[in-house]
Amino acid sequence: MPRVNRTTVLTLLIITSSVFLLFQLHYYRKYVSKQGPYILSRTGHLTANDIQWVSQLKKFLGLARHFGLPLFLADTAALTLLSQDSLRQRDRLVHEPHCSFLCTGRPVTSFALHANLWKYEPGFLLAAKQKGFELLELRGQDPRLASLDNLSGEEIPLHFLFRLHGHIIQVVFLYERSGNYLWHGELRLKAHVDRSFAPFKLLDYGRHPGSYDRPELVLTVVDGIDVRIPRNISRFLSEQRQARFLECRYRDARNFLQLYPDDVSPDAVDFRRKVKSLLHLAGRTLAQLDIPFWLSSGTCLGWFRQCSVISYSRDVDIGIFIGDFRSDIVSAFRSAGLSLKHKFGKVEDSLELSFLSEDVKLDIFFFYGDGDVVWNGGTQAKSGKKFKYIFPRFSLCWAELLDLKVRVPCETLDYVTANYGASWSVPVRSWDWKSSPSNVQRNGEWPRAEWAELIQVY
Amino acid sequence: METWTPNPRAKPFIPRQQRSLYLTWKYKLTNKRTIRRFCQAGAMLFLLITVIVNIKLILDTRRVADEDAAAQEHEDPIPNMETPRKPANGRKVLDIEVYSSRSKVYVAVDGTTVLEDDMREQGRGIHVIVLNQATGHVMAKRIFDTYSPHEDDAMILFLNMVTRGRVLIFTIKDEGTFHLKDAAKNLLKSLGSQVSLNLNWRDMWTLVVKKGGQVYGEKHTKSPALSTWGDPVLLKTEVQLTASEEAECHWPDNELNRRRKLFCSKVEGYGSICGCKDPATIEFNPDPLPNNNVFNVPVAVIAGNRPNYLYRMLRSLLSAHGVNPQMITVFIDGYYEEPMDVVELFGLKGVQHTPISIKNARVSQHYKASLTATFNLHPEANFAIVIEEDLDISIDFFSFLSQTLHLLEEDDSLYCISAWNDQGYEHTAEDPALLYRVESMPGLGWVLKKSLYKDELEPKWPTPEKLWDWDMWMRMPEQRKGRECVIPDVSRSYHFGIIGLNMNGYFHEVYFKKHKFNTVPNVQLTNVDSLKQDAYEVEIQNLFKEAEVLDHTKNPCEDSFLPDSEGKTYVMFIKMETETDTSTWTELAKCLHVWDLDVRGYHRGLWRLFRKRNHVLVVAAPISPYSVKKPASVTPIHLEPLPKEEGAPVEQM
Repeated sequence: MPRVNRTTVLTLLIITSSVFLLFQLHYYRKYVSKQGPYILSRTGHLTANDIQWVSQLKKFLGLARHFGLPLFLADTAALTLLSQDSLRQRDRLVHEPHCSFLCTGRPVTSFALHANLWKYEPGFLLAAKQKGFELLELRGQDPRLASLDNLSGEEIPLHFLFRLHGHIIQVVFLYERSGNYLWHGELRLKAHVDRSFAPFKLLDYGRHPGSYDRPELVLTVVDGIDVRIPRNISRFLSEQRQARFLECRYRDARNFLQLYPDDVSPDAVDFRRKVKSLLHLAGRTLAQLDIPFWLSSGTCLGWFRQCSVISYSRDVDIGIFIGDFRSDIVSAFRSAGLSLKHKFGKVEDSLELSFLSEDVKLDIFFFYGDGDVVWNGGTQAKSGKKFKYIFPRFSLCWAELLDLKVRVPCETLDYVTANYGASWSVPVRSWDWKSSPSNVQRNGEWPRAEWAELIQVY
Repeated sequence: METWTPNPRAKPFIPRQQRSLYLTWKYKLTNKRTIRRFCQAGAMLFLLITVIVNIKLILDTRRVADEDAAAQEHEDPIPNMETPRKPANGRKVLDIEVYSSRSKVYVAVDGTTVLEDDMREQGRGIHVIVLNQATGHVMAKRIFDTYSPHEDDAMILFLNMVTRGRVLIFTIKDEGTFHLKDAAKNLLKSLGSQVSLNLNWRDMWTLVVKKGGQVYGEKHTKSPALSTWGDPVLLKTEVQLTASEEAECHWPDNELNRRRKLFCSKVEGYGSICGCKDPATIEFNPDPLPNNNVFNVPVAVIAGNRPNYLYRMLRSLLSAHGVNPQMITVFIDGYYEEPMDVVELFGLKGVQHTPISIKNARVSQHYKASLTATFNLHPEANFAIVIEEDLDISIDFFSFLSQTLHLLEEDDSLYCISAWNDQGYEHTAEDPALLYRVESMPGLGWVLKKSLYKDELEPKWPTPEKLWDWDMWMRMPEQRKGRECVIPDVSRSYHFGIIGLNMNGYFHEVYFKKHKFNTVPNVQLTNVDSLKQDAYEVEIQNLFKEAEVLDHTKNPCEDSFLPDSEGKTYVMFIKMETETDTSTWTELAKCLHVWDLDVRGYHRGLWRLFRKRNHVLVVAAPISPYSVKKPASVTPIHLEPLPKEEGAPVEQM
């Protein structure tokens, strides 16, 4: 009996599950497959969809070439595949139609275009439409007109999305900015735009504005298609991961400058010039060492509050994570023409370097992580007292200051508020670094025996 | 049953796995228990597949849901601020009110005030408004100060350019008849005015009329006496709108005509551009330059609210050989619609700038914003070409700049390259291939080096509260630092503007009308490299070598001061003891009818110009280092200013 029972149970189970399975397959076809071929799991061999896709891409790139638009492949998935096995590519070259890189299993392929090569070509868009592509044009404000002057021009193209058979080709417009970098805008849908046009969350570009160094491009053959790609793929990809760009808040800065007009005395003008050259020099030097840094303290406040330099601040402040510390920083700055003014603390605790260029000081604060906060240290040379400045954790974003692409904490408001309190928007001319900051704490004293090592003043 | 043992008596071994498996299979099938097990395994497998498909289904549904969420996330949080315009209301009749008085005029269309001017000391003359006969939109607004001379000619020109069928509204503020000549009065009569021939001093007058059609209303009050004005006039009338098809032309449908159509439906007063038959072209396709060094140099057009000027300027700019429309940006000082319409008509980029400050400071802030934006928009550019909206641009403007641009790069003693020669009048300029170095900054179509702007000028540009002229500021020694500009003998731009901040008709007549303007294409400039600092001195020395000293006993203002020769070089010396001792030069400039308002266009105390087709070197002795060329016997000419003459006081340009 138990045996019969078992069989019956099994049979019943099989029947129910078949019905269930059939229902699910039905549901699956009805609701999910409609989204596109990407649902079909990626098999090693070529599917009909892949073949179709490759030929569509070929068609699209052919059109772009015909209209003189030098697109380059910026798709993170495809570039990752490319960087992983450039050897396999060579092997595959001999085979018949294949799609090892461009068929990433994702419904989106991204390309980028230098916007200055885009002359508004209704011809190109028309031809693409004739080939069956649906187009979504996303435009926005021109950030190059955003400045302390109130200018407005017509909206510039930021992203083009071409759709064919559920597959999306994203074309990102890269604009040349005056800090010698490329910029792309945020993808924002206006009220009347079809929200189901594309799986927006899967797009590589557009969640935030981004900035890039100008990549060197090479023409290559990928899956039988001629396409330009960045020469240094891994570098491009690592840039892509931390490309988020923050535009300065010019409107607020204008309001601030209305209240507190900028100092235009020859001294202030001269100071700004010196800061600019010092900041450029610091940027160059640290870029050579591959050390990321961000604007800190007064320099960060100047960017955030007035998109410029606070003329009475008298120094340039930058932050570096202690994990990025390299012992050759001092020598690198020295050979760049700066003199070391003082060195406080040690790598393990409260490290701080100060350099001097002409009469402007460059303060480098090293930041230490501690749970959900980060902090940097301060040292009073004459008493050996230690101080601690505590900030909430932050990530780094790109920004532009004085024609230079620099990093700032993405959560700039939190950072500035931590440092200067809620009244950061009111200029304070008399500032005591030991007591004025709202995030300063006493942190004991250096043992007198170690002063010679830990408090070096030149 | 797991293994199969070969028959020892079988043939030599040949692997025959197929068959042996089959056998195993067959054997297994015979075993009931195995069948059951097999079924159970199958069922398990089936269940497993169900589970997998289930999981996948859940994942995929979630992904789809996520994408929807993502789409939400990408939504523009700012609500669409643009309120849809009210559709052209069903009414086919416009109510129009027109008011004319000494101190105030206004025009209301359907209750909306489209013109209101009650400012003192402003807006004198005849105000003209053009309405679209199909939509009732205001297409043009003009004031013709017919109290002053020549303004009636401008009004005739304008009225003739308005397309037939448009609705014209006229109203006088203060005084509009003193210089309203018969030609204009007759034109008004032909438009349908009953009283135009009788319009007199300080009369008040309003008229609403369809061009080439009916008169909707006219009112007029006479001024009772010379010292008083006519009573204010208020005219109320109705205008029947026509069908939109009648108000449009039927041009072939293409990109250019779409722009044209949009433009012509919005504005009036641009003549043949909106003609239904053979309209004037808006695409020029001038010849490219063979070696164009300025093809990628951005061009900043500085504009205000003078759309007709901008239109004329852009036509000439886009017709110049070697122009690259992609690089042109028009910067408009203020949110004016009509200049923007003109920019879009030509398919160019326009940028609007919120005005800061007033008068000169406003212009100066606009220049700064425009220059900053130009270098922001073109970070790769090392130069920018700056052009004002009231200039005609010579056909070889870009050719001239292309041939001279490298000088700015190679010679640090240069401040700019300008297309304008302050002293280049019809009778004092001759050679389109000739270039000079001058110690002033002429502007009016010039090239600015990025490093000069970014490193020197931008950081200390005059702030909004300083009412300085930007060009005067740029000419100050603190900025110019002894550097010079390269200019042509024959200007490559022509200043046609007669309305403007520092400009009026009289001033234009005296100082700008007779300015020489090059019309020869592809001029090959001579010996461009001799414009570099050291080479130029050699060049000057050579000029002095061949130069004959003029007879200093004659009156330099007389034509006979120069011999009746052609193509020779002469030198004359005038007295100038110090930098500020400019009286002799000013008097000479006055009688030569060149720029005399300040001292311009010299190089180390030397002016170069043409008289009677001869090149004349004017040396300021003893201040100029070239005074050493003066023969001892020659006494520098000294002229004293005449006692103050009559003549309108003019502001400095």
